[in-house]
Amino acid sequence: MIEVKNVTKKYGSFIAVDNISFDVKDGEIVGLLGPNGAGKSTTMNMITGFIEATEGNIIVNGYDISKKPGKAKKQIGYMPEGVPSYQELTTKEFVKYMAELKMVDRKTRKEEIENVIKQTGLEEVQNKLIKNLSRGYKQRVSMAGALVGNPDVLILDEPTVGLDPKQILEIRNLIKELGKKHTVILSSHILSEVSQICERVVIINKGKIVAIDTPENLETKTQNKNVIYVTVEDKNEKMLRIKDKVKDIQELEYIKDNEDGTKQYKIVSDEKIDLRKTLFDILPKEDITIFELKKAEVSLEDAFMKLIDDRQENTNIKQENINEKQKNTKKENKDVEEGVTSTNEEEYLENENAEKNVEAKSVRNTTEQNRISPEEDSEKTELKDNQKEIEKEKGGKE
Amino acid sequence: MWAIIKKEVKTYFLSPIGYVFIGIFLLAFSISFNLELGYSSGIIDFQNIFVYIFTYLPTILVFAFLIPMITMRSFSEERKNGTEQLLLTSPVSITKIVIAKFISALVMVLIALLFTGIFIGIICFFGTPDIPAALVTLLGFTLLCMAYVAFGIFASSLTENQIIAAMISIVTFVITWVLPEFIASGSNFSLINMFYKFTTGQIDIAYTLTYLAFTVLCLILTITVMQRRKSAR
Repeated sequence: MIEVKNVTKKYGSFIAVDNISFDVKDGEIVGLLGPNGAGKSTTMNMITGFIEATEGNIIVNGYDISKKPGKAKKQIGYMPEGVPSYQELTTKEFVKYMAELKMVDRKTRKEEIENVIKQTGLEEVQNKLIKNLSRGYKQRVSMAGALVGNPDVLILDEPTVGLDPKQILEIRNLIKELGKKHTVILSSHILSEVSQICERVVIINKGKIVAIDTPENLETKTQNKNVIYVTVEDKNEKMLRIKDKVKDIQELEYIKDNEDGTKQYKIVSDEKIDLRKTLFDILPKEDITIFELKKAEVSLEDAFMKLIDDRQENTNIKQENINEKQKNTKKENKDVEEGVTSTNEEEYLENENAEKNVEAKSVRNTTEQNRISPEEDSEKTELKDNQKEIEKEKGGKE
Repeated sequence: MWAIIKKEVKTYFLSPIGYVFIGIFLLAFSISFNLELGYSSGIIDFQNIFVYIFTYLPTILVFAFLIPMITMRSFSEERKNGTEQLLLTSPVSITKIVIAKFISALVMVLIALLFTGIFIGIICFFGTPDIPAALVTLLGFTLLCMAYVAFGIFASSLTENQIIAAMISIVTFVITWVLPEFIASGSNFSLINMFYKFTTGQIDIAYTLTYLAFTVLCLILTITVMQRRKSAR
């Protein structure tokens, strides 16, 4: 059980963490989420007693971290950001040292160390110097350091940063497994990770708590409309008239033509009404064949962006623009992956960097140009401008 | 606390620092020994030669430069590598951490001093040294080193840059060393001058207490710095 009560951290006049309060129940996995510099690490450092809060109290398993630091710290296993460890020691020596620091009972120490090494999959490298280990292993060594002594509370600062996908999966499973017996707080800026592992999410931005909820609730909370994408073959052009027949449709919008002659539409209704069943019933009667029908899901990512953006009105417009653009590109990519020929997809996959993306955009644009009416989507016009510029450049070169 | 001492001493020997430290000290000591032999021009004062070696400038000077070499890393390195997060979030209190760091650096000094036993052995072989005087000298030297080490640890807690930590210590040592040359009352502040009293074979209680007080003061300052940094970090 961790209680964070009205905690503030100031550096001079700069407020890094502003009056935050939350608690973590026993055996719960809570994710701290936020953009870089939001105050995640500062919060974690305060919980572990590494830094002192300017105001407020932090109570770990009943012990106030500033009044009874020794007892409170005994409850905590901490894996700091950047996984610091003693490079000149071997894995086993390091884990042993951490066990000794945590005053693990001498009788059970050896067994405990072996268990932790096994649990984190470090058996192979237990006699290697930490400085010679790869990043993934270093991460695990740090994890082992946090785990040793079987503390009730685990605090993991960005536990999966810098790992390869397989290792990420392993670490996630390990955390899930640990969450059964321990109270876990982890920070991350990978949203899918948080929604997978955590039972609750605390979203922090600019030192303030923006939201505390389960990942599912956050997703639904920020979703205020029900959106359905439907791809149909509509020979008699009846689709747009469906709106008159189904009253619950708030908005019916043409999205694009597909190469196989089908068309995609976006149907918006109130959040309480799911139109999928109605559409399945009605469309065939109108001689419209459904090729695809899917509900647009608000991901935690959208929820996060929305929550962050809501609180960020007065701040850095530039940053927001960048976010917006990234979102647009993502949308773009989804569209492309659905309808465009394989060569384009390959081209897209090759161009992973944002800079190169501009080139890719222009290629895609030429193929999509015919299918997308510019008025429809402002982002498309933006892209067109982009393309024009590129064409100009090309012309200049020639 | 024991765990930290064990690990620190081990780390000194995992890197060349431990060996270099002891090596250079013994080298300087041997040179002093040799100079003393040459100086005595045939008539060797076996009784006092061991004490004389300590009064030679190289020994003290080198030690003044060597001690920062082992103390400079104690907190600076941890801070730079981020391992202080591990140390300071462990249930060990800051006071214990500071004392452990101090003791482990002091252990290095004591190991180096143990090797000077070789010289006593050599002298014993050729003559009869004044053992009590030698021991008092060693005690005085240990006290001097304690004060140096404590100050070095304090300097190390001030910065994450090891070189700067070493420079702070060295500059301070040099100032207290040359101060008596410029100010008449300066000798009261000179740790080295106090040590010379021990080479006469007497344990000076006042100086002993001064050394101990200085050591404790430095350690308290270090603890204060570490505690204050907690709220300033």
